Amino acid sequence: MRYNEKELRALSRQPAELAAELGMRGPKKGSVAKRRLVKLVVNFLFYFRTDEAEPLGALLLERCRVAQEEPGGFSISFVEDPERKYHFECCSQEQCEQWTEALRRASYEYMRRSLIFYRNEIQKMTGKDPLEQFGISEETRFQLSSLPRDGLSARVSSRLDELD
Amino acid sequence: MKLNKRSVAHYALSDSPADHTGFLRIWGGPGTPTTPSGTGRRCWFVLKGNLLFSFESPEGRAPLSLVVLEGCTVELAEAPIPEEFAFAIRFDAPGVRPHLLAADGQAAQEAWVKALSRASFGYMRLVVRELEGQLQEARQSLASHRCATRKAIASRCKPQAPNHLFPSPENGHFLPSNCSSMGSTEEGGSRPAGRDLAEWEWQGPASFLLSKGQSPVSPETSCFSTLHDWYGQEIVELRRGWQQRALGGQLECEP
Repeated sequence: MRYNEKELRALSRQPAELAAELGMRGPKKGSVAKRRLVKLVVNFLFYFRTDEAEPLGALLLERCRVAQEEPGGFSISFVEDPERKYHFECCSQEQCEQWTEALRRASYEYMRRSLIFYRNEIQKMTGKDPLEQFGISEETRFQLSSLPRDGLSARVSSRLDELD
Repeated sequence: MKLNKRSVAHYALSDSPADHTGFLRIWGGPGTPTTPSGTGRRCWFVLKGNLLFSFESPEGRAPLSLVVLEGCTVELAEAPIPEEFAFAIRFDAPGVRPHLLAADGQAAQEAWVKALSRASFGYMRLVVRELEGQLQEARQSLASHRCATRKAIASRCKPQAPNHLFPSPENGHFLPSNCSSMGSTEEGGSRPAGRDLAEWEWQGPASFLLSKGQSPVSPETSCFSTLHDWYGQEIVELRRGWQQRALGGQLECEP
């Protein structure tokens, strides 16, 4: 799969949601933890050698699972292979919690759910669709149907039906 | 530069609904002319969030390419491009050539330009923040309206039911199916019948935040994340309770 690497590198230079030097260990067996500059930009986690300007790599954060790992660290894994983990070491529990919180909220899909949640809440409270004024109420990406087809979405739909 | 390609491809093929799909012709990739001579390569494109994937066909089992749609603008392609219904994705990054694409008709062209223009993470974040602000305002006005008449309710801190609209704790992950029983288990519990839902939803988070020493209306995104944690705890507890009850039921059934 080709991807627009130049543009992704440019993205890694954009203002980050969070950036810090952390210990990082890849998912392969026997990999050693190394100091990396880790930078969260939109739904990508970039990692750099501490003295280099160009990123070593990037992780797309869609469909990922972020878990705290004792002691003072966290891991990122992906839905299709939950045992394959990228490990990160923090300097404090506080930093660890800060990162896990931020990473859990970092995906586009999370934002989409948030938006649908807020839209629905506002509609219930005010009787008005808040997206109408922006002329985007019909956009596919803001519809309930744009949520993945799983138990959660089915419950969301039936809940909305109940409230009508 | 490394990328978690396997996970990216998995996301592309997953059942998360696409924001836009369709056939487009493309110029500039390997195996295609760099200028729009010839008809370009026809591929099946899938837009998910800020990611544009291309496939050989709608049945394609692996994406051919990915374009990350950050730091770009999308516009109808200008002359001298002779192609009808063409548009370009232009990146701010230096030394990056625009991606040239053409749709099959004007409606498709317009739909793609619109969908791609609104694909960035920043745009979604903008809309979310806007709605967050509006929700705070709505809660504030509801709170001030009800404050005078509902003093007794303010003393009750514990929320009565999880909001099933809520996103799951993990990033894009889904709550397990046993959560569907949560609705029924807590009906028979502490929640009084006929409770006004809107009232609870106002009172619940406000009291929770008050008990945390925060203003009942938190600023910006911390409002949502605080609600997230709070609902998440409730869900975890209820799930544990359900599992214990289910396990108890199982043991009873065994001979």
